[in-house]
Amino acid sequence: DVIPPRLSVSTATGGRGAAILAAGFPPPVSPPCSRTRRRPAPRCSRCGGAPGTRSVFFNQKSCQTGEVAVAEVAVQSRSSRDAAVQTDRSAVPDVQQGACVDESGVLAFLRRVEEVVIKELNKNVTSRAFDGFDVNWTDQNRTVLCLHALSYPEAQDQHLQVTGVSWNATGSVVACSYGRLNDGDWSTEKSYVCTWNLDRRRLDPQRPDLVVDAPSSVMCLAFHPSQPSLIAAGLFSGETVVWDTSKPEDPLIWRTGMTDDTHTDPVYQVHWLPDAKHGNHVQLLSASTDGKILVWREERDGRLMVAEGFALVAQQIPRSAQLKKLVWGEAAVGVTSLSFSHFDPHVFVVGVEGGFSLKCSTAADTPAPCRTGGSVPLRAPAELAFSPHSGPVYSVSCSPFHRNLFLSCGTDGQVHLSSMLQTQPLISLQLSTKYLFCVRWSPVRPLVFAVASGEGDVHLFDFEKSSQKPAVSMKQAVDECPVYCLEFNTKQTQLLAAGDAAGTVKVWQLSSDFTEQRPREMNHLEQLASELTD
Amino acid sequence: MAETEETLKRIQAHKGVVATMVVNAEGIPIRTTLDNSTTVHYAGLLHQLTMKARSTVRDIDPQNDLTFLRIRSKKHEIMVAPDKEYLLIVIQNPSE
Repeated sequence: DVIPPRLSVSTATGGRGAAILAAGFPPPVSPPCSRTRRRPAPRCSRCGGAPGTRSVFFNQKSCQTGEVAVAEVAVQSRSSRDAAVQTDRSAVPDVQQGACVDESGVLAFLRRVEEVVIKELNKNVTSRAFDGFDVNWTDQNRTVLCLHALSYPEAQDQHLQVTGVSWNATGSVVACSYGRLNDGDWSTEKSYVCTWNLDRRRLDPQRPDLVVDAPSSVMCLAFHPSQPSLIAAGLFSGETVVWDTSKPEDPLIWRTGMTDDTHTDPVYQVHWLPDAKHGNHVQLLSASTDGKILVWREERDGRLMVAEGFALVAQQIPRSAQLKKLVWGEAAVGVTSLSFSHFDPHVFVVGVEGGFSLKCSTAADTPAPCRTGGSVPLRAPAELAFSPHSGPVYSVSCSPFHRNLFLSCGTDGQVHLSSMLQTQPLISLQLSTKYLFCVRWSPVRPLVFAVASGEGDVHLFDFEKSSQKPAVSMKQAVDECPVYCLEFNTKQTQLLAAGDAAGTVKVWQLSSDFTEQRPREMNHLEQLASELTD
Repeated sequence: MAETEETLKRIQAHKGVVATMVVNAEGIPIRTTLDNSTTVHYAGLLHQLTMKARSTVRDIDPQNDLTFLRIRSKKHEIMVAPDKEYLLIVIQNPSE
């Protein structure tokens, strides 16, 4: 409630009578009324006694604005038209390659400046003038702190865990999916996907902006890379669905349904894939422990149909001399995680239940033997198998700064930094005695990555500071409650979201150390990547 | 024509040089080692900056004139050699 401002002016002249004038401004919608109120009798300023025979009268006035007229009108456009605008590329002035340029003039100019420039170039290479010179353009933030702890109490009451987090294309909305990761049974329990808009002023951490019901446990989540309201999720039942969060009444826009093509095992990773053939169009890709990686295309009635697919079958995994025999025959190799290279759109790395990571290509041709009938023939994408972890791989991540580097982590508590050029990892770090659930490269600092551990910690590693222990460890949950997923925010680079088994998503604000690239970081990264063992 | 190419190649071959370009008095690139859109971007911005730097120098002392402009950033150093009709822009990564 808003307390109306009151302006009161009181003048008291002892003796002649006091007039108290009070002007009040009550809220405009109430009908005008004049109020009289009993005021305490004024006392004589000299002796403090109540005036006896003096006549004192009060006059109260108030003023009120006339009634404000309010009308409600709604507007709805009945017809709409689509129009598109495209700028013409040829407006860019082309580089003139000698056509109408005064050649001799250019030559004379170059002759004049060449010496000076070469002298400066040489001086620069040997100069130590700027060594250690750093400029701070932004306010330096020294601490890592937890900005928000978001949760959905209904899901927490059902003891659901956060299985996936994702930031949307604009970086202001974080979504989390609830489900169960430690449940082996087939379950039909419903779960939720909740979104919070962090830029809203009245952010309530216990009340998500949007809650979407999912028919079964949601295992993974991914926001569309350019449309801020589309979100894709993989379910425990093997289905993949796409919701549009701008339609709160009926958010479901596409689903795969249960057909012969759908995955027969939980979908552990969904990814939006830029379509090479159609320019900006993106397709949806889903990977599941039944060994299939399927690319979906949208059909008209809200259905997703398989456009192309890949299947990982044990006998088609390329072996290297160091790998032992793992699984034989046509057994499917369960895919638990997937990451596309940022440099080559055809190359992706897959982590499997058997513990090894595979380098795959979407351009592969060899067909895969298919056990169940499907509408689209599946191909075998694997090209190279890397040295295994001693347990299933839960997460892989390709570096956004180097074309060959990627990270993988798994149940053996180790993180391997590997290069796609060799099977042995470059660096192996034992970070936890329990499982490691998620690893992600930082989108701004080439040498930084974050790992979510089963002990409830989020570790931030900085290869520039130390290659043995984490630079910062954030305690997300108490009682060894594992942290299952984490994502960096690519638009607001100081934010990191992590979801744990207690059903809470914590949004961490990182210190400036982790948000600004250092001067020689790329060189350091190149050096790390080139330490290949023979 | 061949001599200009040779001179530019000599400059480009120096240690750490990332790109070289020649821009005319209107800010239109004439020779470059980068792709079109990046070149046009650099040319437009650096041409304006060079003109501003020159007017700053001459404003302080009308007898003085700009001879060389260097911009040092976290990742590279941009060197601009100005002239009446052309500009030579060289981008170098000094820490290589």
